[in-house]
Amino acid sequence: MNLFTSSTLLTLFMLTTPIVASSTNFYKSNKYQHYVKNMTLLAFITSLIPTTMFVHTNQETLISSWHWITIHTLKLSLSFKMDYFSLMFMPVALFITWSIMEFSIWYMHSDPNINQFFKYLLIFLITMLILTTANNLFQLFIGWEGVGIMSFLLIGWWFGRSDANTAALQAILYNRIGDIGFLLSMAWFLSNTNTWDLQQIFMLNQSSPNIPLMGLTLAAAGKSAQFGLHPWLPSAMEGPTPVSALLHSSTMVVAGIFLLIRFYPLMENNKPIQTMVLSLGALTTLFTAICALTQNDIKKIIAFSTSSQLGLMMVTIGLNQPHLAFLHICTHAFFKAMLFLCSGSIIHSLNNEQDIRKMGGLYKILPFTTTALITGCLALTGMPFLTGFYSKDLIIEAATSSYTNAWALLLTLIATSLTAIYSTRIIFLTLLEQPRFPPLVSINETNPMLINPIKRLLIGSIFAGFILSNNMPPMTTPLMTMPLHLKLTALTMTILGFILAFEINSYSKTLKYPHPSNATNFSTLLGYFPTIMHRLPPYLVLTMSQKLATSLLDLTWMEVLLPKTTAHIQLKASLLTSNQKGLIKLYFLSFLITMTLTLVLFNYLE
Amino acid sequence: MSLVHINILMAFIMSLTGLLMYRSHLMSALLCLEGMMLSLFVLATLTILNSHFTLANMMPIILLVFAACEAAIGLALLVMISNTYGTDYVQNLNLLQC
Repeated sequence: MNLFTSSTLLTLFMLTTPIVASSTNFYKSNKYQHYVKNMTLLAFITSLIPTTMFVHTNQETLISSWHWITIHTLKLSLSFKMDYFSLMFMPVALFITWSIMEFSIWYMHSDPNINQFFKYLLIFLITMLILTTANNLFQLFIGWEGVGIMSFLLIGWWFGRSDANTAALQAILYNRIGDIGFLLSMAWFLSNTNTWDLQQIFMLNQSSPNIPLMGLTLAAAGKSAQFGLHPWLPSAMEGPTPVSALLHSSTMVVAGIFLLIRFYPLMENNKPIQTMVLSLGALTTLFTAICALTQNDIKKIIAFSTSSQLGLMMVTIGLNQPHLAFLHICTHAFFKAMLFLCSGSIIHSLNNEQDIRKMGGLYKILPFTTTALITGCLALTGMPFLTGFYSKDLIIEAATSSYTNAWALLLTLIATSLTAIYSTRIIFLTLLEQPRFPPLVSINETNPMLINPIKRLLIGSIFAGFILSNNMPPMTTPLMTMPLHLKLTALTMTILGFILAFEINSYSKTLKYPHPSNATNFSTLLGYFPTIMHRLPPYLVLTMSQKLATSLLDLTWMEVLLPKTTAHIQLKASLLTSNQKGLIKLYFLSFLITMTLTLVLFNYLE
Repeated sequence: MSLVHINILMAFIMSLTGLLMYRSHLMSALLCLEGMMLSLFVLATLTILNSHFTLANMMPIILLVFAACEAAIGLALLVMISNTYGTDYVQNLNLLQC
């Protein structure tokens, strides 16, 4: 039991060492990158110790160390909750980060600030781990804000490009809107249950309250790009590919879902919140899948795919299955990160070409990347017995055999087939057919720094589902029986999608490209959502505030209403009631004579 | 009445006459206003100190404060008039005629 706490704290502490080393001279050398990568590898191995102990004995741990502050009756200390979720997530996150760091040694090789890049990735990893292991809401918020800040810094890595700056700012703004919900929940918990500790919150809130859960849903919608707060995720593809692979596919965007999963004891008794989450998730997954159908940038398609899978995770939480959502988080991380790494390999080989209309025929040229891409897409769509199958199929089965909203279920099923369609589109347009790019001599995939991470994630994409579901202790009763047609629903929708997409792609490749129809425009322009929402509400709000501040307050209230009106009324009244000639001296003289006369008269009258 | 009283009252009546009968400059009116205030102050101080009326000891000081404010306003008006017309002749103040 001793090894549990010490190896957990060692893992977290080990990762902070390269940050400290960045103030020394070592930071400027070329070995810093390998040092960071090796540190992540060692942290991964160390984090396997507590996980194995947990799998063996199913014992959770709460590490409560340094007491920070006590304000009246609120006691805040540094506490780590090592339970099912954080212990399973840590090795997965560390494994993926290790692979991505090795990949970015190859990808960002010619960047002069590559050491700073690694430092930023490491700070991001540390704050993500703080988020997942936090036991009180304050520490969680520290991690939450930390990942938001690092996301900003990493998306705007190439800050000379104005699109990148806009995208980074967009990410911060949308996350901030979610943070309002988070702060609302924190305030509610503080004033009603006098604590920010998770244990006390779960104990004291047997009748699940609506307000904090709605706040947490808003926070999750902001961080995990649900509908209404989703445009920042495709814009975040302005960052380098390792950033997209780490932050915006496996790790940061699942923070919102993770928050809702953490609060599952409160959510399992609250039907309205579950329905809200279910509807939001279903809408997100369908909308982003529709948008992914006609995008032309390979990274944006994968970004929308991530958004769609996040919507699917929300749907799972709405079905009261938090453990399935968590399993989907872990398995999704593997193949999504691998898809991003493959796209990075393709982009780098084609000399920074990201448009899939200008790729093609890479099947024979980049065989390893082709393998990885096809396997990743198959895992994404839920091909039986690959990784995605163990989580995605279980989710669809749970959805079809539970007493839930039929409309949400229908949207999810349509989104499942759309997943297959856009995956086929990626494979078709990038890998098959004839090349559509100018002949380049530098297309290669011989560097082991590129091959090894993709190889590891490939093995993970194939086997991780099996390994994870057989080693995770079961927390809910699994679904054992269902009618055959419900069991085959997911598979049917996927195969339908594949067949449809393949047919359409093969017979339309020789046709002339038509004028885009209305539906295509809707899909390519992301449902007109950014176009409308980024211009209209800010303009309306700013105009209203200008009218209020300048016209109403300054002009009317302070200038016209009292002072000028008084002067105006005075003028009119005096003109009305008197006729003066302006002979002031005579008036003063008459005043004096009157007073003298009065004094004289009254003196004589006494 | 005692001689002191008559003395100060004469000062007051002088200033009052000067305020109400002046030739052309507004400045002289303001100066006479100050003179009135000064004589009132001295009268009030002497009377109150002589009769040991401790409760009213602060009345002359407050009178002084308000007179200072009033003098400031008067000077501001003078400056405004001077800005508009160039001089402070009282014949100019005839805007309110109809």
